[in-house]
Amino acid sequence: MDELKKINRRQFVKVGGVLAASAAMSAYAVDALAAGDLQRLTILHTNDVHSRIEPFPMDGSRNQGLGGAARRAALINKIRQEQSNVLLLDAGDIFQGTPYFNMFGGELELKLMSDMGYDAATMGNHDFDNGIEGFYKQLPNANFPILMSNYDFSNTVMHASTKPYKIFNKQGLKIGVFGLGIELAGLVDPRNYKETQYLDPVKKGNEIAALLKNELKCDLVICLSHLGYSYRENKVSDKVLAAQTRNIDLIIGGHTHTFLDEPEDVKNLDGEVTTINQVGWAGINLGRIDYYFEKRNGKKSKQASQYQITNGL
Amino acid sequence: MKIFKPLLYLAILATFFGCGKRYSIVRSARGEYHIDSTLTLDSGIVKTYLPYKRKMEAQMNAVLGESAVALEKERGTESLLGNFYADAVASEARKLFSFDFTIPTTKGGLRNEIPKGKITLSTIFELMPFENELVLLKLKGTDVQQLLNFIAASNGQPVSGLQMTISDKKPVNLLINGKPFNVADTYTVLTSDYLANGGDNTKGLATPLERKTIGLRVRDALVNYVKNQTASGKVINAQLDGRIKEN
Repeated sequence: MDELKKINRRQFVKVGGVLAASAAMSAYAVDALAAGDLQRLTILHTNDVHSRIEPFPMDGSRNQGLGGAARRAALINKIRQEQSNVLLLDAGDIFQGTPYFNMFGGELELKLMSDMGYDAATMGNHDFDNGIEGFYKQLPNANFPILMSNYDFSNTVMHASTKPYKIFNKQGLKIGVFGLGIELAGLVDPRNYKETQYLDPVKKGNEIAALLKNELKCDLVICLSHLGYSYRENKVSDKVLAAQTRNIDLIIGGHTHTFLDEPEDVKNLDGEVTTINQVGWAGINLGRIDYYFEKRNGKKSKQASQYQITNGL
Repeated sequence: MKIFKPLLYLAILATFFGCGKRYSIVRSARGEYHIDSTLTLDSGIVKTYLPYKRKMEAQMNAVLGESAVALEKERGTESLLGNFYADAVASEARKLFSFDFTIPTTKGGLRNEIPKGKITLSTIFELMPFENELVLLKLKGTDVQQLLNFIAASNGQPVSGLQMTISDKKPVNLLINGKPFNVADTYTVLTSDYLANGGDNTKGLATPLERKTIGLRVRDALVNYVKNQTASGKVINAQLDGRIKEN
């Protein structure tokens, strides 16, 4: 691929990114896209939306006027019109934060996410705020899967309600997505999570990612994580997960409400890149990561191939 | 708005012998959208949430009662808001269980003040937005001493059923339910699960002899109290009664 125009975020937001990026692509890349040898995948993501249906009220507070499901939906629709392969994902803590949750128990949050076409979400600790039954009760309002691979729900009402992972097929691309949750003890009242068993996220993450990439032949593996970006104390986080695993290309994080200036690229156990991103909270931002894939010919394997990372689409 | 510094990052992909994948990543480009007023609204989404919004506002604007005075968080050892909060929670919880005294929240847990006049459901949600549960802790006298020390060291906390004088940041003249505190006795303390689990660095609550969740949320206790006062023809009229004094 040729030189690519680098667009900063301000321009990206202003011009709508996608068209600008396409215009900047080389003739080769456009031909390759047309021939199906080059595929593009657009990942859109949120985390910790915390029942923020409407923008923050105009009360002089730090976030006044920001966020809002109706704006996010319009933006997502626009991107979907421009891109054929879009995945919309959420990293948990959908619930709690405004009276919408106190009054309707999360019904509206899940309905709106379904309307927006979310493809998958994982669970955060606040999603247990009305108890595991409270989450379970609202699941009929979600037309997307809840992915969770390190909570064992066998002895709970949720035993058949989540999947460890899901594979999405987008024009020949296989994308494996799985979910990891934070340790609940000490964070959530045991009465709320009941007999949910927390399993080691690093161990589980490695297992699932290897399964997705090596056995199920996924071209990209994404982890939806509510572990938190990073901690001072010795506690598992997205940074720890990234460094101590293999086969995860992208971690979409949450919990710590971290506004990252740009996604962080960590070397994993194989020396490959695992990218971590998190976009604050309350739907103030929508994250976007585009991947371009090249079709490989037959059995010819790539030795030490590189990929180029650009901040700004 | 922050601006991304363009960054080219070359990443090494490991060898792919025999893995049979059909595509490899050749490029990644990332960005972020700020959700602000420059974006248009999706009318379908608005249409979906509008009935909920109306219902929420109708309920949240429901008047539960009235306060004769503004209940504020004064800086002193006790406050009208703190006394109201602790007495209201104690009053409702006593209908279910008996206990010696309560510290249902810390000062930091008083999230908003109550203006003079009508008290709406929204007022109480703003005061107490969390779903914390009330718990009863049976504590050794030595643990109660630690808790009392914490209350004194932090210049008073919202309490009910407890009187103390703070002298040089230490608790003295301690009365629990009107009786002098005895470190050899055990006491039953009503608090929230949040504080019982060590929230706000509260001291003395970590190793109770017994712990019981009473099945009443803190906010529900506050709501019920205001409603019940109204039902019996009373307005809220919290007082500073010297339960925590400074020497």
